[in-house]
This record gives sequence, C-alpha cells and structure tokens, in this order.
Amino acid sequence: MSSVTYDQLRTLYRTLLVFATVGVVILAVGLVEFAYFERPGEGSGVKAHIVGVYQFDPDTKQPVGPDRSEFHRTEEFAAVVDWSSIPSNMIVDARWYNSFGSIEGQVGPAAPTELADKSVIPVEVPSGLHYVLPGRYTFVVERLEDGVPVEVLGRRFVVVERS
Amino acid sequence: MITSTTPPAADPQSRLRPARYGIALALAALVIVALIVSSILNYVFLDTIPGRTSLYGLLAVALITLGTFILVRTFNRDRAMRRKHLIRAGVLIGLGVLLWLLVIDVFLFTQSAGPGVAAICALACLPTTAFGLFVVRRMDRNHKEPWRLVLVAAAWGAIVATSLVVWGETIWEQSAQHALVPGPGLDTSLAFMAGILEELAKGLAVLMLFLIMRNEFDDVVDGIVYGAAVGLGFNFLESISYMTNLYSVFSAEGAGWVAAGIQWYGRQVLGLFFGHATYTAFIGAGVGIARQLPSVRQKVMAIVAGFIIAIAGHFAWDAWATIFPIQNTLFGLVEIHLRTLIMTGPFTAGVIALLIFGIRYEGQNLLDQMRKEAATASGAILPDEVPILASPWQRLRQRLQALSRQGLPGYFRVSRLQTAQLDLAMERWHRERKEIDTPLEAEQQLRDRVMQLRHWIAA
Repeated sequence: MSSVTYDQLRTLYRTLLVFATVGVVILAVGLVEFAYFERPGEGSGVKAHIVGVYQFDPDTKQPVGPDRSEFHRTEEFAAVVDWSSIPSNMIVDARWYNSFGSIEGQVGPAAPTELADKSVIPVEVPSGLHYVLPGRYTFVVERLEDGVPVEVLGRRFVVVERS
Repeated sequence: MITSTTPPAADPQSRLRPARYGIALALAALVIVALIVSSILNYVFLDTIPGRTSLYGLLAVALITLGTFILVRTFNRDRAMRRKHLIRAGVLIGLGVLLWLLVIDVFLFTQSAGPGVAAICALACLPTTAFGLFVVRRMDRNHKEPWRLVLVAAAWGAIVATSLVVWGETIWEQSAQHALVPGPGLDTSLAFMAGILEELAKGLAVLMLFLIMRNEFDDVVDGIVYGAAVGLGFNFLESISYMTNLYSVFSAEGAGWVAAGIQWYGRQVLGLFFGHATYTAFIGAGVGIARQLPSVRQKVMAIVAGFIIAIAGHFAWDAWATIFPIQNTLFGLVEIHLRTLIMTGPFTAGVIALLIFGIRYEGQNLLDQMRKEAATASGAILPDEVPILASPWQRLRQRLQALSRQGLPGYFRVSRLQTAQLDLAMERWHRERKEIDTPLEAEQQLRDRVMQLRHWIAA
C-alpha cells in the first residue's frame, strides 16, 4: 500500500470523526434542551383533580352527559378541573394538545384561585375547519416557573374518532 | 507464469469469515428477540392497533428475515444449489411480504384511510423511490453494486426496519406522553426516539450486509450506496403511512388528497435524498470506511461515528425543524424548501463530500491495480484497455460501439466483460491491502472468467 493511499483512507476516517464530533455536539445540545424543559427535582407532589371530560354544549358553555374518553369528531368536548385541589401559591395553566402537538384550547397561566370561574376548558376547533381533527388529544394541568411549564399536575387522554 | 506474478494470498487461512458470520447471526437473533419482546409487551400492556399488528406481524418478519438470509447466501453457492435456494428464498420473502402487507392494510391503512387510498399512496411513492434507488446505484461510478443487494437493502428499510421502530417507538412515545411535560421537552424526547431507534433499525441492515456479503461491500462508496438504499426503503413505507394517516385526518374536511399530496411532495420529492437516505448513508459510510481500516479499534470507531452522525442529523431535523416558522402565504412555499436546505443540506453535503472523495480514492486504486494486472501479461486486462476501464464515459462509449455493431447482445457482452475486469481489479486491491478472506483461487477464477468472456466476444 502506498503512502498516498494510506493518507487517502486516513483523510476519509478523520473527516468522518470530525463529522461525528459535530454530531456529538448536536446531541449534547439536545440533552441540555431536554434538561431545561424537563428540570430534575421539580416534583411538588401535588395532584390536580380533573373531574372529567364531557361533551360540551357551546350554547350554554356547560358540560353535558357522562365522563367519556372517546368522542365523535362532530362533538365538542371539554375538561372540567377542580382548581381548589391545587395550592393557591402555584402558577398553573390547563391546555389541550391535539395529536400533532398543537395547543387547541387553554386557560391560564394564573394562580388556581384566579381560575376558579374557568373550570370548564373546551377544545377549540382550528380556524378554517368545521370540526376538531380526529386523533388522540392530551389534556394537562401544568405548573409553571418563570413562564415555563415544569410539571404536569394532572393528565387525561381522549380519542376523537375518524368516522 | 501467471502465478509467479500474481500477488500472494493475503490471508488464505483467515478466521474472520466464521467470526463475522457469528456476529451476523447474533445480531439477527437480537433483532428477532427484540421484535418478539416488544410485540408481546405492546400487546399485553398497550393493546393498541400497532400492538395487535406486532403480534400478528411476527410471522411475516420471521419469514422475511429467513428468506433474506437465504437469498444473500444463495450467490455464494454453486450453480446447482443456487436455483433451489433462490426459489426457497423467493417463496419465503414473497409469503412474508404478502402477510406483512395484509397485516398493515387490515390493521393500519385500511382502518385509517381504506385499502384503496393506501394503494394509491403506494403507487405514488413507487416511481420516486425507484428513481432514488436508480440514482443512488449510479453514484458508484467505478464498480456498481448488484441490484439484488440494493433491493434487499431497500426491502429491509421498508419492511423490517419499519417494523422494528413501530413497536419500539410505540413504547417510548406512550411512556413519554404519560411522564413528560407536553411541549419542547416532550418534542426533544420524541426526536431522540426517532433518531436513535430509526437509525439503529436501518443501520442494522447495513451492518448485516457488511458482515454477510463482505465481497460485495468494498469501501466507503458501497457503504453510502447501501445506506442510502436502506433509507429510501424506509422513506417509502413511512411516506405511505403519513400520507394515509393525514388523508384520513383531513378527508372529512374535504382536504384529504391535498394533505396526502403535501406529504408526498415533502417526503418523496423534497426529502427523497435529504432525509432518511442521507442519515443512513452516513452509517454506510462509517461501515464502508471500517471495511478498509487495519485495526479493530479504528473499525469500531468508524462504525460508531457513522451511527452518531446519522442519529444527530435525524434528531436535529425532528427537534429543531419547527424553529423555522412557515408562513401561511406564497412565500411559505419558498420557506419550506429553505428549511430543508438549511436543516438537512449540511448533512447531505457531508455525505456527498465523502462520496466524491471515496470515488476518487477507489478510482485511483482500481487504475493502479488494472495497470499492475496489465503488466502481468495474463491477458485478462490489456494495456490498451486500462484507460477505457478507468473512465465510466469511455466504458459507456465502448458498450455503445458494441451496440451499434452487434445490437443489445453485443452491448451486454461487453458490459459483462468490463464488470468482470473491474471485479478482478477490485479483488487485487483488497488482496494487496490484506483485507480479503477469499482464497487466492478466487482471483484466478475471476481472471479465467474474464478470459472466457473475452473469447465469447471474439467468437
């Protein structure tokens, strides 16, 4: 094997290692980002009481019927939260996420006492659409610090059927 | 006379061959065990549609794995046994594919969008993926890989790798959604999930080819070709999955085909070479470079490096693509293209740089070996043929001349002769570098084959 050939292979190998170093930096930045949003030691032990998820009457703005986990896409639905189950010194909000991770309905952030009259949190129909999109919806009650959600105090999953 | 000028056998008593077959078998066993365990866990704890699919799909995966193994080993056997094993492999893979498609159709595609929509989406993705495979194979200008292995790589990416990640990702996603705060933290976790699980599942195919088909896995160029082929196969099935899913989500709003069409463009046109093909090509590049490195430590480093770049590239796209906001205006169309170019472009440029350098490295060494072979006066490669064989354009010109003189049969005869001569040069190169474990007789057989083809053309 000539020295030129060896150098060529070594150049390829070293180029690959340089790329891999960049890769390690990217993954490290990702880990830092994850740690920032999923801060360790943030568990408060508080559990928010989600009363249930119900069909929502848009005229009366009230929940109707029994607690359910599945809805037809033509139905509107809302979660009901008992804000008194959360200590008043916390800053909290409640959000609906659709299956694409977009927020489709929210109250807060505020102290639980300020949200007492907003115990019903409906899912909003995206603008330009007639009904909510089918898929899996996640409802969360979150505790915030410096405007960043750091802990989930309560969580419910709901499926909106396609047909 | 020939033996006196031919390089001696590099390592005729190599013990590498059984050892790497053992590693390949262990990897295959691990894949199967992982599939079984994740399927059962999915079925018992999640009871979701993918869970049921995983359990019913196990037989299909086992059939495809066994059939693939028999297929790639078939061409190492003599002609008498080859036909028998080809039929056996064909039947097993055919059954596996049919069963798998049936399971997918019934439990996933049919349920969300219906078999008709799934079929149309598959038909839409077929020509673009075929074009991608054609381009990727053509990139190896000096020594093209056999179609059978390129297609096996793509089939693994489409069927086995997607099966592995469907189940693995279901568990990770479900666990993350139950434990993490929705938003950037969860998105980052899911980006790690996609990067790690999908690249490991795809990279296994490249690693298996490297371990089982060492004779068809020559260097960094081959690695990039096989890696990109696996990525294209994976991208094919993932595109169908996303298209059918979005069709079903938006069809009630009358925008099903628009949503599916946007997915098709994003994944099969814009992202055909920029996404999965690029990431897995890095794994292939790592394995290809490892193929020629002298020490085990360097080999391991190269393979790990390839996986790290692939995982990082995939992670970066999944985690940070949303940093680039896409406006709901006409300029949004430009932004979509810019986003892909900025986020994945540097990785694709890196692969292209390795590819160009690899092609030059391979070309120079093949030229060197062809000159040495011509100097032996064995008759397998004549001095006048060296500049023609060294240039893809001159080789094409020679084939076209044969076409005009003797028609298609003449074209293919010259093509076979050129391929056999390049095979011989490649064999010599590996032997000189002591990175081959076939006996010296294999090289003489290649030389004999060249002479046979030469006589055939002359006749």
